[in-house]
Amino acid sequence: MISKKIVLSNKLGIHVRPASLIANTASNYKSNFVIRKDDMEINGKSVMGIMMLAAGYMTNLELRVDGVDEEELLREIIALIENKFGEE
Amino acid sequence: MKSLTVKTLFDLKKDDLSLKLLSKKQGLKKEITTPELHRPGLAFSGHFDSFHFERIQMLGELEIKFLKSLTPSKRYDAIKEVLTRFNIPCIIISKGLSPSKELIFLADENNIPILQSRLFTVNLQHHLTNFLQDWFAPAKSIHGTLVDVTGIGVLITGQSGIGKSECALALVSRGHRLVADDVIKIKKKEGIIIGEANKKLGHFMEIRGIGLIDIETMFGIRAIRMQKRIEIQVELIPWRRNMDYERIGLKDRFSRIFDVEIPIIYLPVSPGKSIVDIIEVIVMNHMLKVYGYNAAEIFNERLKKEIERKDKIRTYVETDKE
Repeated sequence: MISKKIVLSNKLGIHVRPASLIANTASNYKSNFVIRKDDMEINGKSVMGIMMLAAGYMTNLELRVDGVDEEELLREIIALIENKFGEE
Repeated sequence: MKSLTVKTLFDLKKDDLSLKLLSKKQGLKKEITTPELHRPGLAFSGHFDSFHFERIQMLGELEIKFLKSLTPSKRYDAIKEVLTRFNIPCIIISKGLSPSKELIFLADENNIPILQSRLFTVNLQHHLTNFLQDWFAPAKSIHGTLVDVTGIGVLITGQSGIGKSECALALVSRGHRLVADDVIKIKKKEGIIIGEANKKLGHFMEIRGIGLIDIETMFGIRAIRMQKRIEIQVELIPWRRNMDYERIGLKDRFSRIFDVEIPIIYLPVSPGKSIVDIIEVIVMNHMLKVYGYNAAEIFNERLKKEIERKDKIRTYVETDKE
């Protein structure tokens, strides 16, 4: 189980497009993936769940992965976020 | 746990509880940390064992009359002991009764807010407790889909991609009502679990292959619900050979949410199996059991009688000497 805290850096936050990017990427892996914002915890493989976080610019998130391919999953998600999902 | 300031309590409930603030506004900043109420009669008489000072202190006719019966200096001392030594979050007086000026003065000195309600003590206690218990109820978000199937709240769980949303969509098509898809806010209230939708984001669903759909607009107001008690959990599991799922139904299995036992059914999913029909039947079976009819037990009784009958016939035939 690995846990990592990260801050969102893209201006529009996690709207529909970034949410589906995260969910699709995470769905390719076997490990469990949970995203936490304040006291709300959602399943990172579900688009609806990620969007419900309503996470905006500069929001603190905690990513938690658990499973056989946890390291690769975490790496890919962090890359997506640090890349600002290909946006501004 | 959400914190509750007296100001928030006052703003939210001043109409329902007919509240008036009798002390200075400073006290409104105080925080209430527990849903229970306490009547401080004994504390005012000098008994401080088990004085629940951290609770909202409710003063009714009894307490006000007692304080009035004391001489002014004894009254001042009694109130001072209670209000200065202990960190009381709030005082609330019922029946529109007026507190003595000593109480207001000492409350202001110690920044303790005094609220006055026109309601009778019992009613005030009842409504205030309901509000507080709801506010402080343990709550969290869970991953799953909640559907009201003929009046019974069914929580559908299972790993991502197994078909929870598609299942809920089929149930909605049949006339059942969606409460929440994917993220359900649950809270425990008086021994039951209630699931709610995310009010701001509405009743949307993600269906792989289609994308996002708005259930309310597509199916209408009858297809959604804001909240529902969770009575049954159906966990969808991938079908595997040699799986230990229920074949008879005599032993009920339960899952636990916030210490409440919820009957759980593990349903193997595979092409050709109509999960939606099975879920409707699960609900009907649950309703029959609640009304006292347990199909598995009834069948077992009939089978036992049939075995006994066949046994009697065999014995009769074998022991027939004629």
